[in-house]
Amino acid sequence: MSALAHYLEDEGVPTVAISLIRLHTAKIGSPRALWVPFELGRPLGAPRDETFQTRVITAALRLLEAAPGPVVLEDFPDDDPTAIDLPGWQPPFDLMAGALETGNRATLEHALGQEVLAIAPFYERFVAANRRTTIGLSGLAVDECVGFLAAFLAGSPPASPDPAVSPVQALRWAVDDVKAYYLEAMSADGAIPSSRQMQSWFWDRTLAARAIIALRRQLLASDDKRSQAIGRMTLVPGAQVLRLGLQ
Amino acid sequence: MVRMTDLPQATQTGMANLECPRFETTPFVSGPPLAKRRVAVVTSAGLVRRGERPFRSGNVDYRVLPADTPADQILISHVSVNFDRTAFQRDINVVFPLERLRAMEEAGTIGSVAATHYSFMGATDPRGMEANARAVAGRLKSDRVDGVLLTPV
Repeated sequence: MSALAHYLEDEGVPTVAISLIRLHTAKIGSPRALWVPFELGRPLGAPRDETFQTRVITAALRLLEAAPGPVVLEDFPDDDPTAIDLPGWQPPFDLMAGALETGNRATLEHALGQEVLAIAPFYERFVAANRRTTIGLSGLAVDECVGFLAAFLAGSPPASPDPAVSPVQALRWAVDDVKAYYLEAMSADGAIPSSRQMQSWFWDRTLAARAIIALRRQLLASDDKRSQAIGRMTLVPGAQVLRLGLQ
Repeated sequence: MVRMTDLPQATQTGMANLECPRFETTPFVSGPPLAKRRVAVVTSAGLVRRGERPFRSGNVDYRVLPADTPADQILISHVSVNFDRTAFQRDINVVFPLERLRAMEEAGTIGSVAATHYSFMGATDPRGMEANARAVAGRLKSDRVDGVLLTPV
């Protein structure tokens, strides 16, 4: 981000960067930056909080006119008010996945499909209220995504839906879409728990998460370096690898 | 998730020791008061329009996000899974705050919102992005942009 700022500024375009990792911004020397003490992934802080977001943007943009150069790094004083756990939060449905049986593709696909079906009304409620979904990277419907996962887990990787990308790359995007489906369904009632609460619930209680963890294990055992990299880096968040004690 | 301290120690150490580019110059461009500025968003969140191929590891290209792109047509395809996506799922403005900028335009806080915005994928050596970043600068100047808000994830 700071390097992009340097290149733009060098071409004569004034910039101000929001910084989530102060250390990197300070190292590179972004022309103007506002460091914010928020989680990675939320440079404006609180979702659905117009007042808070506007405060952050205003603090950043004011650096365009107020601060002397050539390197300005200021700190935003307040934390994201939605970063704390919501006491007693539960999603608007309950799940407690049993053991994952990966040997038979049809059985596995059916089990995953049943879980997807069970939370469909909540996903649809979220989309209706939010007027958007972030599912769409794979180009597959969510039931097709879990079918794709099941085929991989059963040892018969399917053809990629996009011939220009490898099946394992397509798998990563299908996993992204499955995770988005669950997390959006979990948000159907409008409550805003911490991301930590939502992630813990997803990774502890859903069959989909068990399938993704099993896929990670499978890809890590592969002889193919690209599959190993996708398994290691892009299926399970590092914080969950740590929390769940995954190898 | 997901502050740096929530990540595995090896990841934290890797981020802390990440080699960052060092520049010999410190360009710093001044401009008019904020109320007269035309503002664009350039993000490193890996945003793409629905139907475009997502970013992949090592990509140094950029995507064009016209200001009138409906929010439901914008997806996040950053290669890292080590950041929160739940906030973006609820509210695109957390990463791509065009609604906030439009409100600031209406209030007279900024002059106007640019016609076009841009997205890169941040988990890449930024030196590989230089040519594309300079190309984006040219497009921004063509749109008379004189204030860029850069948003990471």
